[in-house]
Amino acid sequence: MTGLIAIGAAVAVITGIGAGLGIGMATSKAVDAIARQPEADGKITKALLLGCALAEATAIYGFVIGLLIILFLK
Amino acid sequence: MDGLVDSLMEELNCQVAFTIPIFGGIDVLESVAVTWIIMGIMMVATLILVHGLKVRKIGTKQAVLESGFTFIWNFFEELLGKEGTDYIPYLITVVLYIGIANMIGLLGFKSPTKDLNVTISLAVMSIILVEVAGIRKKGVKGWIKSFAEPIPIIAPINVLELFIRPLSLCMRLFGNVLGAVVVMALIKYLVPLVAPLPFSFYFDIFDGVIQAYVFVFLTSLYIKEAIE
Repeated sequence: MTGLIAIGAAVAVITGIGAGLGIGMATSKAVDAIARQPEADGKITKALLLGCALAEATAIYGFVIGLLIILFLK
Repeated sequence: MDGLVDSLMEELNCQVAFTIPIFGGIDVLESVAVTWIIMGIMMVATLILVHGLKVRKIGTKQAVLESGFTFIWNFFEELLGKEGTDYIPYLITVVLYIGIANMIGLLGFKSPTKDLNVTISLAVMSIILVEVAGIRKKGVKGWIKSFAEPIPIIAPINVLELFIRPLSLCMRLFGNVLGAVVVMALIKYLVPLVAPLPFSFYFDIFDGVIQAYVFVFLTSLYIKEAIE
């Protein structure tokens, strides 16, 4: 049973891949935009931070589910 | 290894701070006690900052206070539009509370947002505010009809969003704070000397402020969408 719990928690944390890819792509586009027009970097940075925090959320949901699986399944 | 598991479990659970001895003993959890401390800090800071405000010949403290307040007010007014300025005091209070609550780990207290009850209540308050804003602007009939916009087919999705939004708000905040606590416990167990310092700067200060900002930004986006 502990083997299945461990596999379940590991599968739950795979959602981290999505967050890493999404935030990487967003940052690359933001850097392109800043290079294209350096005066707008205040607005671009604000939008980038917001987008990163929202994209991070799905990875956090996976982490919380993994933690709940480890703590509450016997 | 057992010491690690024990210290992790102790960080994750919420302990009872003290018991009020009326009505057969009401347990006061430590998150409630730290919230009272934060309320006390904010109230004392408020009373000190607004003491002796003048109309002309203002001092440095009042000038700094006014410029900071105008900056935040303009920021929120840009998000909410002219009609949403009624809701700005609530948003400023929430961003100050969540910011201080996330950073109070630096002073040695346990952060109240580590408790799922606190984040759920914050998310429920925000969603009730969003729906009340919609009802005040459009009336009850208009609010019910607004579930069918833009196409009536997606009305079930709109109703479902009513419950998904507070869930995502609270889980985002709770998950970030919980992740920070778990990683800090691991680092403190393995390398208790100097390594916790830069990680604590990242997790407590940077991450805490960003999560407070994201919470309030999303709430104001929902309010803007409900008002127009």
